[in-house]
Amino acid sequence: MSYENTLLVIKGASRSFGEVVAVKNFSLQVKDGEFVCLLGPSGCGKTTLLRIIAGFETLDSGDVLINGKSIIDLSPHRRPMNMVFQNYALFPHMSVFENIAFSQFLKKKPKEEVARKVRKMLQLVQLEGFETRGPNQISGGQCQRVALARALINEPKVLLLDEPLGALDLKIRKQMQIELKNIQDKLRITFIYVTHDQEEALVMSDRIVLMNEGEIMQVGTPKSIYNHPNSKFSAMFVGENNLLRGKVAKVDSDCLVISVDGLELFANRTINVKTGDPVTLAIRPEKLRITGELEGKSFGNQIRGKVVDTVFFGSVVKYYLRISGNITMVAEDKITDESNSRSIKIGDGVTLGFTRESLNVFAE
Amino acid sequence: MRKGKIHIFLLLPFWVYYILFFFIPLGILLTYSFWLTTARGLVPTFTLENYWAIFSKKLYFILILRSIRIAFIAAIICVVVSYPVAYSLTFKYKKMQDFVLYLILISLFSSYLVRIYAWKTILGGQGLINQILQYIGLTKEPLSFLLYSPTAVIITLVFIFVPFTILPIFSSLQNIKPELIEAAKDLGANNFEAFYKVTLPLSMSGVVTGFIFSFILSAGDYVTPQLVGGTTGMMIGKIVADQFGMRYNWPFGSALSYFTLFLLALLVYCLIWILKILKLRR
Repeated sequence: MSYENTLLVIKGASRSFGEVVAVKNFSLQVKDGEFVCLLGPSGCGKTTLLRIIAGFETLDSGDVLINGKSIIDLSPHRRPMNMVFQNYALFPHMSVFENIAFSQFLKKKPKEEVARKVRKMLQLVQLEGFETRGPNQISGGQCQRVALARALINEPKVLLLDEPLGALDLKIRKQMQIELKNIQDKLRITFIYVTHDQEEALVMSDRIVLMNEGEIMQVGTPKSIYNHPNSKFSAMFVGENNLLRGKVAKVDSDCLVISVDGLELFANRTINVKTGDPVTLAIRPEKLRITGELEGKSFGNQIRGKVVDTVFFGSVVKYYLRISGNITMVAEDKITDESNSRSIKIGDGVTLGFTRESLNVFAE
Repeated sequence: MRKGKIHIFLLLPFWVYYILFFFIPLGILLTYSFWLTTARGLVPTFTLENYWAIFSKKLYFILILRSIRIAFIAAIICVVVSYPVAYSLTFKYKKMQDFVLYLILISLFSSYLVRIYAWKTILGGQGLINQILQYIGLTKEPLSFLLYSPTAVIITLVFIFVPFTILPIFSSLQNIKPELIEAAKDLGANNFEAFYKVTLPLSMSGVVTGFIFSFILSAGDYVTPQLVGGTTGMMIGKIVADQFGMRYNWPFGSALSYFTLFLLALLVYCLIWILKILKLRR
């Protein structure tokens, strides 16, 4: 489990299609064995970047290096990476065996060795016995596993995955997410995984690269991106967030006092602002704890609100609250046996408590 | 009119037309091939005499084989010429697709007969090709084999049937998803390997269809050989047409037709079978 070596370096990559800037000055270092997710909305450039790494798109400027050597002049078939395509791209005129063995036959490997390797791959993706089936005789999830085996048999230095689970049902998708993560853990191959599903990114990656409009918005572990988003975009794209607009009322040595629509809120001093600056605040629904009057004081922040709606989500319940004339917020509460006795109803007045640390501040 | 059954009524005109003007006449012809003809007219009987008569004169067999040979060569040339065109339209010159396809279609609008006459002029002793060759100085006298020969028939047939070959090949190439080729390259195939292992096999159905079109249409053609074939370029179509014309031997004409049809079908079937074997090995 070594993360020591930097395997892949992307330096200042830029690519435009006519007037549209797809990727703007993108720089990233990926370590050997890391699982990196490129996360962002449609059109943010993540697929273009993946194709640039694979060699299917050229760079307008910048460089891509593997182990210190530039690879941008290499055509795709010479690069030490393999790709799992969004729609699997299985060869329809070949069987599962022939699909997986394709790269090995190209390398003129002996038949027995190829057969052995294919069998190992089928074991890895749990598709033993499927050798002779055709791509149109297997389900979507099975196609995806064949595509994965086909790419992995080559033992690439980097595996590139372009939204591979996008076309699958929710349940199968969640199952495959865990399977992929396990395979990556086992093989310790560097994975670069493109997705627009932020939950998927949180579940699978060692690091997330959040992108928007061709640029990197934030890079970090799932935890750091979730708990400390660095911008309004990051706060809203990953997970749910309550956004508030306010003005800095006071700057203390270690905390900020922000006034929002008559309320006074306290946050840790994480950014450089001065009194009077407009700021945006973000607080996650699950960090808003519904408390009794006295408990609230221990949280650092306390506000009162009125419940306007409650929605049952199975394992959690969400409360939609009106805090003041302009502010509505969402609070999330896990449903446990005790909470049945709490039974908060529409129209109830509640006290919400939250810590200073959970209140994120952005200078926008 | 029950809801689900309306399609039967919609298909009726098609089936009426086809049964009346295609299947029934074919059936009549087949029946004739077992009849005899006398000075008094057709005699309904059942005899294989007409079929044996095909083997009575060497001429018929020679002409059938020559027709098959000419049609085969023409069809091969059609495919060889059409494939690169269809390929570059699909993968390299995508923006020109519509324009070139219209050009190909327009060439089909002009009269088939006019086009054959045009070739007669172009290939002739005073024609364009000979004029150019003599002008450049490559030849001193007009090349005689360019007209009234099997070569002339093949050249003309190719130009007439190439549109029928380009279209199916183009269509099958269009259906290949580009990511399949990208996947092949990603897995280590260079441009040639990607073509040979992915593009070519997946376009084979179009190639076979195009070949069959031009082969069968060429083999039965009897106007082209008549106008540009001369005696050495004569094909079986002329003999069959004669039986229904001045020779007034419909039974023999029918037998000849069906026998040729049978041979052509056998040949096409063998070709497809050979291709299947080759494809399996890839």
